Amino acid sequence: MIRIGDVLVSKGEGGVYSERMLEGYRVWDPYRSKLAALYLVGKGIELSPDMKVLYLGAANGTTVSHVADYTEVVYAVEFAPRPMQDLLEVARRRKNVMPILADASCPEQYAMIVEEVDLLYQDVAQPDQAAIALRNCIFLKKGGHLVLMLKTRSVDIRKEPAEVFRDTLDILISAGLTIVESTWLAPYHLDHAAIICEK
Amino acid sequence: MQSCWFGDIDAGKCTPFTGDAAAYAYRVKESRISMDNFVPLDWGEAVTCGVCRDRAEYLAILQKVCIAGSEQGIRERYASGDIELLQMVRTLDEMDTVTNLLSERVADWYQIRHPSFSRKYRRTPAHVLVRSIAERSRERGGGGALNRVALEIAGLAEARTALAKEVSARACGVMPNTSALIGGLVAARLLSCAGGLKELSRLPGSAIQVLGARTALFAHIRTHAPAPKHGIIFQHRRVHNAPREVRGRVARVLAAKLAIAARIDYYRGHAEPAFLDDAQAKIDRAGGVPECDEGTRP
Repeated sequence: MIRIGDVLVSKGEGGVYSERMLEGYRVWDPYRSKLAALYLVGKGIELSPDMKVLYLGAANGTTVSHVADYTEVVYAVEFAPRPMQDLLEVARRRKNVMPILADASCPEQYAMIVEEVDLLYQDVAQPDQAAIALRNCIFLKKGGHLVLMLKTRSVDIRKEPAEVFRDTLDILISAGLTIVESTWLAPYHLDHAAIICEK
Repeated sequence: MQSCWFGDIDAGKCTPFTGDAAAYAYRVKESRISMDNFVPLDWGEAVTCGVCRDRAEYLAILQKVCIAGSEQGIRERYASGDIELLQMVRTLDEMDTVTNLLSERVADWYQIRHPSFSRKYRRTPAHVLVRSIAERSRERGGGGALNRVALEIAGLAEARTALAKEVSARACGVMPNTSALIGGLVAARLLSCAGGLKELSRLPGSAIQVLGARTALFAHIRTHAPAPKHGIIFQHRRVHNAPREVRGRVARVLAAKLAIAARIDYYRGHAEPAFLDDAQAKIDRAGGVPECDEGTRP
């Protein structure tokens, strides 16, 4: 990952969401992007130019644009039409972003498009987040990584965040994944955790 | 056999699919892939297939397909008309808030300009005052910022009237049965509160009855305050004109019929005269109005 001082940046065309530029690089704001927060709080997965990424919950393409700066191709899945309009604009300017309007819990909707990927990144606000991630692991190559951004409040508002965190880890481990790293994203994102697994 | 966006691969033999980006996107959308024993596609097959020469070209074509597919998908989602109706009715309600707020402010301002003027005993609501300021400044022309603002508010009020008509008309098209029971404008507000026609059609009658009375409902649940009898549906004359004692009953029966109407709207999409006649009669009966003979109904 490219850092200038303590600031996480990526190399690419700016102006996607009026992000700050620093020495010609795009500043990657940890308060806006959970992935950026992960790189500052924990270790994360080093992104490289030959990487293929399946990104679930692409939303407006803010984080997608930074991931695309680092990697070869990003398959960006988003369900809602309104943010998809923004994501399409990002795709028109970045040759390696593949926008897919589909439901991440139904991988068969995009099984004809997505190839085997090195990284599965998931940031969806769904109660069955872990199950959705596991269903998409068929696209992940052996030894590839799953980065799951756990929104504990979206999983179950009545449970303690720590409890949701433990439950999710259990689900992932019992599905045969190895946990590489797991961390809370405080102070950047409250009650959000990042879990990295290896297939 | 493995199906990919660029063609079908059977026992090492690839049959390419030909067409433009939209055709590829349509093929992906219509495909029914089984996820048992699924193996992700290998992009190299596309080269064997003759669809592209190298990785760069593969990604370029695939991106065109993805963009075409997503654009088409967005168009289809928006086509039902209820999504635009949602925005229209929210704009309408926000315009009301804004014009009221501005009118009150301008009225206050006007009083400072005219120290002898008072609204007491005149029963002049702010918007009437604003309208008269606007008319006067239109006749005389010119005027300061106050007149300009009053003119703008008057213009906004006109736009609001036009929008209200459009909302009504659109609601009658998108939700004919619900609109027939409660009027286009109120039907559209119900839709906006529920978040869409699909969402509204999935609500039970009891929820539709108190839609828009969230504060009162939660006060009831938390502190055992009296339960709200009606939310948005109070805006319909049948509820607010009903005598106080039967208002709750009218609201309940109306809401129950609205729930059915919303489902007919969502799943059939056209008016059902048989259902509507029956529902109107039942609601009238709930309000204590004796059923009138066919033909004399207003």
